[in-house]
Amino acid sequence: MGIAKYAEIYRVQLKNNWVREAVYRTNFLTAVMTDAVWICIEFSLFGVIYANISSLPGWTKPEVYFFLGMFFSSDALFTIFFQRNFWNFSDLVNKGDLDILLTKPVPPLFLALTRWMSLTACFNFLLGLIIMVRYSGPAGFEGGWHWLLVAMWLAIGLSAAVLIRFAFSIWIFWTERSFALSRLYYQFFSFATKPDGMYPRIIRYLILTALPFAFIGSVPARALLHGLPVWQYLEIFAVLGVFFIFNYTCWIIGLKRYQSASS
Amino acid sequence: MNVGSIPLLRELRWPKFQWRIAALKNGFQDATAYRVEFLLEIAGSAFVPAAIQSVLWYAMFKIGGATTVAGMTYPEMLHYTFMSILFTQIRGGDLDFELSEMVRSGQLSNYLVRPVGVVEFVWIRGIAPKALIAGLCLFIGIGFELYLGVSPFRIVGAMFLALLGNIIHYQISAALAATAFLWEEAYSMLMVKNMLVNFLSGELFPLNMIPERWAWVWKSTPFYLYVYGPTQFALGRWSTAEYFHQLLFAAAWLVVGWLLIRITWGLGIKRYLSLGG
Repeated sequence: MGIAKYAEIYRVQLKNNWVREAVYRTNFLTAVMTDAVWICIEFSLFGVIYANISSLPGWTKPEVYFFLGMFFSSDALFTIFFQRNFWNFSDLVNKGDLDILLTKPVPPLFLALTRWMSLTACFNFLLGLIIMVRYSGPAGFEGGWHWLLVAMWLAIGLSAAVLIRFAFSIWIFWTERSFALSRLYYQFFSFATKPDGMYPRIIRYLILTALPFAFIGSVPARALLHGLPVWQYLEIFAVLGVFFIFNYTCWIIGLKRYQSASS
Repeated sequence: MNVGSIPLLRELRWPKFQWRIAALKNGFQDATAYRVEFLLEIAGSAFVPAAIQSVLWYAMFKIGGATTVAGMTYPEMLHYTFMSILFTQIRGGDLDFELSEMVRSGQLSNYLVRPVGVVEFVWIRGIAPKALIAGLCLFIGIGFELYLGVSPFRIVGAMFLALLGNIIHYQISAALAATAFLWEEAYSMLMVKNMLVNFLSGELFPLNMIPERWAWVWKSTPFYLYVYGPTQFALGRWSTAEYFHQLLFAAAWLVVGWLLIRITWGLGIKRYLSLGG
């Protein structure tokens, strides 16, 4: 199947989601309100920390706020395009919703991950970008053409978020309930909300390799502000590559194990 | 004559308690039916927040070179983290979301025809596994108190305060869940509330780190009663007089919470339309 076909399917999915969200208008307000409170709380947390100390290791206050802007934007992209699909992921297997996807002439994984979108989170994406712009100067971001790199790092952050979330969700083929693993994902996700330089070596190593939550916001912000050594670029692509292979292999094995739950 | 041995008379003596005990049993069985999931949930909700807090203190003290933060040394911060994790374990879960979903989906109708209070029923079902965890935390806490050289009776008092705080939190959550009678997206109110509670309860950091000019924010809510307050008392940083003062404050909030539920659910039920057979 060619790229044009995928693009066409994606366009239709986008349209359907737009129509659905246009019907539930209050949903937009609630999503904005919830994320705005979350952003305020993260800012307050670092506000409290910096009220007690002058700097965190390697990160000044404006740099941390710049990191938060990057993290919120990256997370908002995940919310827009993927979050709902992962919420419904367990139903694909438990309730047999996967049956319908398997009968379509499109790879079921593509449909499983792109069917639902939360377009209301666009506002939060913009809010994240505004925060980045606001703190870019005080944080020492060079600006100019470097803003183009933001797009690349957002794509890396989004890829990391999708691959990690998928690695936590795929076990539904082997377990009856995915609630605890999802909860565990969100617990570990807290590691993404702080700059990686703060962590002791072992945890830092963990969030840069086996659980690469640092790729969502922290590493991109560090790369934009201070640059990265070449080996770290290689490491990022190696880790994401391994996750991709692992996830895809598990998906294939899981599909073979899947038994239709519907009549 | 032993009245309890005659089923009918036993029924007459304990009708109000029987459904509560049944709900407790049911909640416990439901939570532990999937044992691996139950254990994963406990592990996730204990170790990850503890690790994140510890990391924060590590960054501030060990890497950042601070000697005291908000009057607390590095070991004191770690003690706070460890003790606070014990109290956060008895949090009531997502019961408020369950209530709002019942209203939204119409499942509430099943409870309206039964002689049970739905708000209380959901709480009892949810608290069952937490009671087990609270017992375990109490046991661990006593060991920790002995290690610190603080009276182990303090942990008992602290756990009691944490349970009261938990009830108050649930009361406020249940009142907020009643917005589901008016509004499809009531869950977002609960999500916002949860985020505020995380911040204002002392789960993320000791609340005395908040600058004095902002201290009124956390002091004017009851949420500190179920993590920060119990932790302070258990670590010997609150006097007994202060503890009893806070108990009175908790009692006042319990009354407010009870009134809130009566009003919000009373008004909500009047608006409730049950569809379907």
